[in-house]
Amino acid sequence: MAAAVAEVESSLELSLPGGGVPGFLPPARSRIFKIIVIGDSNVGKTCLTYRFCAGRFPERTEATIGVDFRERAVDIDGERIKIQLWDTAGQERFRKSMVQHYYRNVHAVVFVYDMTNLASFHSLPLWIEECKQHLLANDIPRILVGNKCDLRSAIQVPTDVAQKFADTHSMPLFETSAKNPNDNDHVEAIFMTLAHKLKSHKPLMLSQPPDNTVHLEPAAKPAITCWC
Amino acid sequence: MALRRPAPDGNGRRDCDPKKKRKEAEIFQALSSDPVDVAALRRMAISEGGLLVDEIRRRVWPKLLNVNTEDLPPPPGEDLRENNKDYQQVLLDVRRSLRRFPPGMPDEQREGLQEELIDSILQVLQRNPQLHYYQGYHDIVVTFLLVVGERLATALVEKLSTHHLRDFMDPTMDNTKHILNYLMPIIDQVNPELHDFMQRAEVGTIFALSWLITWFGHVLSDFRHVVRLYDFFLACHPLMPIYFAAVIVLHRAEEVLACECDMASVHHLLSQIPQDLPYETLISRAGDLFVQFPPSELAREAAQQQAERTAASTFKDFELASAQQRPDTVLRQRFRDRLRAEERAKSLLVTKPRTNRFVKLAVMGLTVALGAAALAVVKSALEWAPKFELQIFP
Ligand SMILES: Nc1nc2c(ncn2[C@@H]2O[C@H](COP(=O)(O)OP(=O)(O)O)[C@@H](O)[C@H]2O)c(=O)[nH]1
Ligand SMILES: [Mg+2]
Repeated sequence: MAAAVAEVESSLELSLPGGGVPGFLPPARSRIFKIIVIGDSNVGKTCLTYRFCAGRFPERTEATIGVDFRERAVDIDGERIKIQLWDTAGQERFRKSMVQHYYRNVHAVVFVYDMTNLASFHSLPLWIEECKQHLLANDIPRILVGNKCDLRSAIQVPTDVAQKFADTHSMPLFETSAKNPNDNDHVEAIFMTLAHKLKSHKPLMLSQPPDNTVHLEPAAKPAITCWC
Repeated sequence: MALRRPAPDGNGRRDCDPKKKRKEAEIFQALSSDPVDVAALRRMAISEGGLLVDEIRRRVWPKLLNVNTEDLPPPPGEDLRENNKDYQQVLLDVRRSLRRFPPGMPDEQREGLQEELIDSILQVLQRNPQLHYYQGYHDIVVTFLLVVGERLATALVEKLSTHHLRDFMDPTMDNTKHILNYLMPIIDQVNPELHDFMQRAEVGTIFALSWLITWFGHVLSDFRHVVRLYDFFLACHPLMPIYFAAVIVLHRAEEVLACECDMASVHHLLSQIPQDLPYETLISRAGDLFVQFPPSELAREAAQQQAERTAASTFKDFELASAQQRPDTVLRQRFRDRLRAEERAKSLLVTKPRTNRFVKLAVMGLTVALGAAALAVVKSALEWAPKFELQIFP
């Protein structure tokens, strides 16, 4: 059973400090970027976060109950930074009274929809609205990710429609696949782009901050990126 | 009802352990007495090893839930999957629940069981429109399905859902959140240092959410551990899972205290449950804690948790919190030990032994297994929900 367990989405083994560099311990005060990932159930939030933190597509995922957490240390311009991904449950009932606590001190938001599921795209305004209610600062960087672009024949959300939506909400759009093995670095690139963007802003919270309140500068004009 | 000795099954070897043999004999005696000795069964379900094997569970679980196996609900109709508002979500969750099935099971068999799982869930929801599906409910139902089969599982889960799980199945999770609010006060009673550390880290209680609402079915990979815990929870007060959650955290106190004191580190550590927990020890510890600090004693603290965390607490919470004349944080810190001593003294004094037959049975389960004081349990069980007791403890 042990082997099977390791394949499962749970955050087991994922936060080994150093990410790809075994044995590396980040300094106690390395900066932390806290990113929350939201969207409908089954769009692939768990797969995307797993992909970024563990470097591969998980063989099996299970329904996320409440909030899961994964992290990875990366190197940006010579600085060691911990990227924390908070993977949330998609079912509405969890969001209303549970997930709220985890919006605290978030540095960036990733909205995810499933390109093969129009309903998940149509839910986005609700997610954006919820996010607005929980986040005190309006100027937190946000990106939109359309997942499962590997399922070409099943696509229901055309790129131009998604792009228009992203423009309206001043977010960059990425269409990607957590699964596609030929697309190895794309998920990585998305999160790294976000991390660079965060880094180029004011210093964020440190590992052991006295007070976590952070205000980011307004996001620069969104870069529109599509690699699919 | 004819009594047959169970055939050995995969779970729990039928070895020559004399203790097990004796227990088995006692269970069969309790089952065959007329009326069935539910109090004894409850005791067996709690005490070391629980109900031992699935064959016994099939016989005893219905008794613990007061479900008549002769009168099961009819099989679902054709329209079960049509017009069911939860069908899509159930389908998504069940499809992803591969890990809940025995590792060596052939795909075809597993897929058949997954279909049964969907039907079982939908049938309970259809028959009880006041209940709302939550992600994790499927982790509970699958446990019953694998142990007792579809038909009986549906009946047991229906009873469970209208009682033990009722709060989780409200339209919102506010009541679930309220139950989670018992976690920190329990920890505080036993290990104030750990409690304070966790409060400072602002870790919250969501790490225990899946434990609570799936009765640990979502997080334990060894099915034998899951069913052992279900024996325990089925025999106990519906808040027992939160005591068990507290016991796990307390068991890991050293690890937690060695963590960086921030939400992410502590959440991360705690949300990964070690798979080699000393279950029997933790079960009796949870029982002891329950008896020492019954829910009624913690209710005030739990309400306070809520008040401290949310800016605008509800009027009800406010009332509860102010009844306690909560001192500000500094004072609280300073006098916490004295306060605690006073509260303990109070808890010893305030006993309203409104005993009734139904509750006594539950109490015996605990006392005989764990040798702890009974009064507190009687009291809290009565305060929890008198109606509940009437229906569950026959
Ligand atoms: N084909 C394909 N399937 C995916 C992709 N990402 C996720 N999935 C599948 O979609 C389902 C839901 O994924 P999960 O990460 O659990 O979704 P979540 O509910 O948003 O966390 C799983 O069966 C995944 O295997 C992808 O990029 N391509
Ligand atoms: Mg998920």
